[in-house]
Amino acid sequence: MWFKSKASALGDFEQLVLFGVLRLDEDAYGAAIRQEIHARSGRDVSINAVYTTLDRLEAKGLLRSWVGEPTPQRGGRRRKFYALRPAGVAALGHAYRAFTAMAHGLERRLETK
Amino acid sequence: MKSSPPRLASWLLTRRLPAEWRDFVVGDLEEEFQNRSAASPVGAWRWYWRQTIRCLARPPRVRSHSSSFLYSPGPKGDSILRTLAADLRYAVRVLFRAPSFALAVIAVLAVGIGANTAIFSIVNAVLLRPLSFDEPDRLVRLFHEPPQAAFPGIHRFSVSPANFYDWKHDARLFDSMAIYRFRQFTLTGGGNAEAVVAGAVGADFFQVARARPAMGRVFVTEEDDPARAHVVVLSDGFWKSHFAGARDVVGRTLRLDSEPYTVIGVMPVRFSVASWAITARDMWVPLAYTEAQRAVRENHNAQVIARLTPGVSVTQAQTEMDVISKRLEQQYPQANAGWGATVVPLQELIVGDIRMTLVMLLAAVGLVLLIACANVGNLLFARALARRKELAIRSALGAGRARVFQQLLIEALVLAIAGGLAGLVLARTSLTAGAALLANQLPRAEEVTVDARVLLFVVAASFITGILAGAVPALRAGRSDLNAALKEGGRSDSAVGIRTRRVLIVCEVALSLVLLMGAAVMLRSLLALRHVDTGFDPRNVLTLRVSLPETKYKTPAEISAFFETALQRIRALPGVQAAGGVDDLPVTGGSVQPIVLEGHTELLPRDQPTVAVRKATPGYLRAMNIPLVGGRDFADGDVAVMLVSRAAAKLLWGDADPIGRRVTLPLESKTAAKQVIGIVGDVKQGELSEEAMPTVYEYTREHTWSSFAFAVRTAVPPLSLAQASAGVVRAIDPEQPIEEMRTMDRVLDETLTSQRFSALLLGLFAVVALALASVGIYSVLSYIVRGRSREIGIRTALGAQTADVVRLVIREGMTPTIIGILIGAVAALASARVMQRLVFGVSPSDPLTLAAVAGTLAIVAVMASLVPAYRASRLDPLQVLRAN
Repeated sequence: MWFKSKASALGDFEQLVLFGVLRLDEDAYGAAIRQEIHARSGRDVSINAVYTTLDRLEAKGLLRSWVGEPTPQRGGRRRKFYALRPAGVAALGHAYRAFTAMAHGLERRLETK
Repeated sequence: MKSSPPRLASWLLTRRLPAEWRDFVVGDLEEEFQNRSAASPVGAWRWYWRQTIRCLARPPRVRSHSSSFLYSPGPKGDSILRTLAADLRYAVRVLFRAPSFALAVIAVLAVGIGANTAIFSIVNAVLLRPLSFDEPDRLVRLFHEPPQAAFPGIHRFSVSPANFYDWKHDARLFDSMAIYRFRQFTLTGGGNAEAVVAGAVGADFFQVARARPAMGRVFVTEEDDPARAHVVVLSDGFWKSHFAGARDVVGRTLRLDSEPYTVIGVMPVRFSVASWAITARDMWVPLAYTEAQRAVRENHNAQVIARLTPGVSVTQAQTEMDVISKRLEQQYPQANAGWGATVVPLQELIVGDIRMTLVMLLAAVGLVLLIACANVGNLLFARALARRKELAIRSALGAGRARVFQQLLIEALVLAIAGGLAGLVLARTSLTAGAALLANQLPRAEEVTVDARVLLFVVAASFITGILAGAVPALRAGRSDLNAALKEGGRSDSAVGIRTRRVLIVCEVALSLVLLMGAAVMLRSLLALRHVDTGFDPRNVLTLRVSLPETKYKTPAEISAFFETALQRIRALPGVQAAGGVDDLPVTGGSVQPIVLEGHTELLPRDQPTVAVRKATPGYLRAMNIPLVGGRDFADGDVAVMLVSRAAAKLLWGDADPIGRRVTLPLESKTAAKQVIGIVGDVKQGELSEEAMPTVYEYTREHTWSSFAFAVRTAVPPLSLAQASAGVVRAIDPEQPIEEMRTMDRVLDETLTSQRFSALLLGLFAVVALALASVGIYSVLSYIVRGRSREIGIRTALGAQTADVVRLVIREGMTPTIIGILIGAVAALASARVMQRLVFGVSPSDPLTLAAVAGTLAIVAVMASLVPAYRASRLDPLQVLRAN
């Protein structure tokens, strides 16, 4: 329901996934997102967790997806690509702003601790 | 180099992932696996498995709803594995909290599944498992099919040697064919003389059976010759009991009938199969027919085993044998007119008679399991209702009906599997304990074991039982009204679901009735057989067999003198009233021959009348109490005399007086005529369930028949004379063995083993069924009384007497019982047709038996109702009303 999806805030892992999609641009698909999260945040998440979250975000209207061509590298299987919808960009921006606003001025304390 | 991810993991993934995700997830994993395996193949492999397990434990959720309720996700997104594991854990915990309930259910199931497992083990060994010979489905036995006019109802007859050699020569669809017969020897040289039964086998016998010796060799073709036949192959059992398993036994000598035989080999233990008699002998010698013996066409006295050419069916082989038989009939009309041949698979021959019985027993024991299911269903239902509050809270917290159903069903399955395991132990124990009993009742009894197929059966039976017993209560519990359940507060004893439980009683009673009826009919059939008029009096008769070795007693004078002396001395023993000898005792079968009346020309064998022929001595009639109807009995010194049974007299001479007539038995001698001197009562010579066959008894002073069963009528318990009788024989010849010492009652009993086996097991099942049904009725009524205690309290307060309350409760139990009896009666009558072939002298739909069985069930139901009724009558109205 539209009012609900708008009202719900993004969860921690949802943010990581959305950042991954944004960072990978046109090349965002499950494995790439998973590796991006692993490389940058150090969290070795499972592929199903990534897809579960991607699916939920798509349901919320934050992402759109399309299916690519089969590649031999994947045993002839296809990829599913994701990209941010405007609502996704807005939600991620909102979360980011909230995060940085809350963290503002605390950088030193977070570093030292 | 491109490596591929673990196949098993990929397979698991593709099986478990929802279709819309499969490609993407598996593709992603494989892609990353490729990247990783470039750096570290082992690491990549480990990583792939870890990802797989995480995916399996919690596969990506899909927005579209899955159709299976097992997949339906709870609020936390449970996968099937997680909820199953949780339910299993929960079930075990719940059951440990109610150990007496769990034990009761497991015990009932153990009895039900255990009985089924035991019977299935038997069916498995006897009917399902192939024989332990090489390619056993190609092994067949060949028989003559005798002319039906002369041998009514007999379809498998021993084979005459000349016909066998013609079959062997002509048949093209058989790989090999061998002739054999049984031969008795007296073994001397090591302490007491001993009778051994050997197989006398044609040269090809071991090749047909494809049996190799454990030591030494088997016979070669040249040894199937009287001049070279003094060689012997020992059985494993004989080798161990007589040679203590000595490795150097080959080459040693045995004295059989006072002649030396050289041991040339020992067969392995697995060659001896009790149900194929020729393999279960002490030893084997070459058949070694002389040319004259090979040419015998009219005397049918040998057995034939053959191996079909690969790909040839029994029907094809039968067709070929029909063609050969037709030709032999034309070629030798005198001997072969009307004699056909029949091909029977060895397996069918071994298990043939028992098949019907086993199938019937399996059906019966299946009914026991159904009753156990109904009982357990009842208990589970009571328990689900007692836990209504817990279940209602679960529902209130969001558990769907499917989820509650799943949880209850899993509890039932846990119980069923525990019951199945207990049942397996029970079955093994009872099979081991009953092994000795089974050995006498069953072909292949020694092969009854618990194998993989039995284990599979236990697992399947447990699952089916769990689902059958668990489904109804689980469904009903899931349906119960949430509000009402929560409102009731702590009370869980209201009478809910009474209708379901009444239906369970109806089922139990109906099934029990079918079983009881079967058992009762079997028992009556057994009694009818045991009390059938045999034509002689088996009480107080001791029997023993003496077979003189032909090599030692060569002349008729020697043979006759031995038997005459022995019988005279036995008659002189204190306590002996009469004694006589006969070649084959009544009800054990024996020779059947054509007979020719003097003055009639000899007809084709096909058209000649046939009679049972017994060689008897003076004193036999009195020892067996066979009545003399006319003429006189044998007397010592008679020459070529004959007694005829009433049926034989009627068959051969109609209403004319047979005394003084003369007959010949052409199979024994075409010229020696015998004179009829008396008429005796009819005696059952074969099966108790068949009519007495026309019989003639012959006697002559000096005879060549060297094996007699003695019948000794005693005034004291017959077995007390066993030692003295044996002593008489040993006093005449210390080297003479004695066989088959037993009472005539025992002989009769032994012919009824298979009937007794079925009656015993059916009776046992019926008792178990009755016990389960009464427990079922009792527990349902107790439950109802508890649930209606308020109503009963009010009735008592309003003046109802004890008798009224008792009547109320008993009526509550009797209504479903009577409906069950009616349904069961219909089912019993419907199954009567199946039972028809298994019983004798009683109709499987006998109304009197049915009434008795129904009465028994009704009485048991009343008894089961008494305790709850008594409890209800003792309810204190004040207390009950205050409590509510």
